[in-house]
Amino acid sequence: MSKRYFSGLNMLRVDVQSSPASAKLLCSGRIVLGVESETLRCIATARAEPCLILDLRHVDAIDGAGLGLLAELHCWAVQRNRLLTIADPSRPVRRLLALTNLLAALQISYSATADGGFEDDYAGDARQAMTA
Amino acid sequence: MEKGLLPEDRQAIEQPAISKEFVFTGDWASMVAARDGMMDFVREYCSSEQEEIDIFVALQEALANALLHGCRGDPSKKVYGWVQIDALAISITIRDPGPGFDPESLNGAAGGVNLSQHGRGICLMRSLMDNVSYRRGGSEVLLTKWRTVRR
Repeated sequence: MSKRYFSGLNMLRVDVQSSPASAKLLCSGRIVLGVESETLRCIATARAEPCLILDLRHVDAIDGAGLGLLAELHCWAVQRNRLLTIADPSRPVRRLLALTNLLAALQISYSATADGGFEDDYAGDARQAMTA
Repeated sequence: MEKGLLPEDRQAIEQPAISKEFVFTGDWASMVAARDGMMDFVREYCSSEQEEIDIFVALQEALANALLHGCRGDPSKKVYGWVQIDALAISITIRDPGPGFDPESLNGAAGGVNLSQHGRGICLMRSLMDNVSYRRGGSEVLLTKWRTVRR
């Protein structure tokens, strides 16, 4: 029987917690090109709250399209004078944010319960990406 | 017997290569099925979760490029994939039916902050794999991840 490191979630699941001031989208699974990215884009851009939080602590993997979506949503929020925060990105997500130089460009927050390590862990990865 | 090799290292090196071919059409459902099939084949030989995720993301980028640029949304076109695993490396080749591109034209694109939706795929593949090379005028990409010996 083969090993399975991934959680086995092929699709993206998004749970929404909202208040009048903010909406938190708890994402789990993968944010990749196709249905997953489109689903998150539709849910995020449909929210009317001034503050939008994307909780990525349970995201197994993200690809270029998913990273592009995060950048797109950041620009979308800035243009509308709204606040978009990426909360507690998982290790795989943080690593790719660093590799693509998005770690410093996006608004990212970490809670005490986030899985270990912060952006400094990925300074080396970012340097590698810049020379790739 | 060669000096300096532990018995388990020698056993690993002498393992024959295994390979599998995948053919799929230029639509999303086929691409996802092929990607998952390739990952099912590769998974057993990954030494860590990090390595598996790296290969998954790089493969996803290669397949997305094949569909978007090689097939241009035409589901009648075919994409070929080969996975080869030997003692030294996991190698994945993706060949699309498109005209290809000049990989040299992308050098120097990395480094700044890219806030657009596109343009990260090749940077990600190069960062996550140990070697990425293009052949057939850019219509075929070879992704290589060196294998680490598990003790």
